[in-house]
Amino acid sequence: MQLVVVKLAKFILDKKEYTSRLIIGTGKYKDFKQTKAALDASGAEMVTVAIRRVNLGQEKSGPNLLDYIDPERYTILPNTAGCYNSQDAIRTCQIASEILNGKKLVKLEVLGDKKTLYPNIAETIKAANALVKDGYKVMVYTTDDPIVAKELENIGCISVMPLAAPIGSGLGMQNKYNILSIVENASVPIIVDAGVGTASDASIVMELGCDGVLMNTAIACAKDPILMASAMKMAVESGYLAYKAGRIPKKKYASASSPIEGNFFENE
Amino acid sequence: MEIYINQEKKIIDGEISINNLLSFLEIQNKYIAVEVNKTIIPKSEYKTFIVKDNDKIEIINAVGGG
Repeated sequence: MQLVVVKLAKFILDKKEYTSRLIIGTGKYKDFKQTKAALDASGAEMVTVAIRRVNLGQEKSGPNLLDYIDPERYTILPNTAGCYNSQDAIRTCQIASEILNGKKLVKLEVLGDKKTLYPNIAETIKAANALVKDGYKVMVYTTDDPIVAKELENIGCISVMPLAAPIGSGLGMQNKYNILSIVENASVPIIVDAGVGTASDASIVMELGCDGVLMNTAIACAKDPILMASAMKMAVESGYLAYKAGRIPKKKYASASSPIEGNFFENE
Repeated sequence: MEIYINQEKKIIDGEISINNLLSFLEIQNKYIAVEVNKTIIPKSEYKTFIVKDNDKIEIINAVGGG
C-alpha cells in the first residue's frame, strides 16, 4: 500500500506559523480538564479567552484557566466579548495585554444587542481604529458584509472574521456568496467566526477558501465535546484540502463515470 | 481603611501595597491585571504602589470564552 502524506500549508498570523487552521474558544466546558482534552483533540494552536473579574469567593486560590492552557505553548487570543461600545472594548484589550505580559494580539468584538449578538459595526470600526493606532494586532469579528470587511482590513486589522451565523446558533454557513466575495477581495486572512454547528459546516467554510475557522459552542456543547473536537479537526483539514484540490463544476445532468466505448450489448 | 475590590467593600488595616493585597486575598494567579480607579497598574509596580482609602480596585483575569 502506498501512503500519501498530504502536507497542509502553514498559516501565518502576526508573524507566527500555525499548522492548524482551527481556533477554538474555551467557554461553556464542564471544567478545565475537559477544556484541555478538547483542545488536545482539536489540534488547535490558538485559543480564545474572555476577560473577567477574578472570583474572590472560595475558589480564589484554586486552579485557573491558564494553569491548564499554557500561554507559552498556545497562542492566547483574548476577546472583548460582552462589550457593547468601543470604550469598553478598548479598555478590555488594554487589561488583556497587561494580563498576558504585554502581548498585543486581540479578538475585537463589539456587540449590538444581547438577542442577536450581532456586531455593532460603527463601534467596531471606532475601536479598531484606536487599537491599530495603539499597536494592537486586531483580529476582528464582523458581519458577512464585504464592504465592511474591506474597510476593517484597510484600517489595519490583521485578520477579518465574519460570522457564518449568529454566535452559538449552530446554523452553519448562511451566506456563502458574501463569504466568497469577502475571501476574493481580501489580502489578510479571513477566518469565519461563529455559527458553525457540526463538522460539515466547518468543511464548507474551508471549501469557500477561508483561511481558518473559529468556534466554541459547536465543540463545547456537543454531547461528546472531545469527539466533536476530533471531528472538527478533520473537517477543517479536509475542507481546506478540497479547496486546494479544486472542486468540479456543477452540472445539471449526469456524466457517466464508466467508458461509453467497448460496450458488448447487441441492441445499441 | 475602606477599599472596594471588584465592587466588594473590604476593610483593610492601614495602607497596603498591591503585592501585599494580593497575598492577603490569596491570589496566586500570575496572569492577572490590576486596575486602581480605572488606571492599570503594571506588574512591575505591585511592590511599590500603595492602595489608599476609598480606592476602587479591579482584579481581572482570563476565563473561558469564545
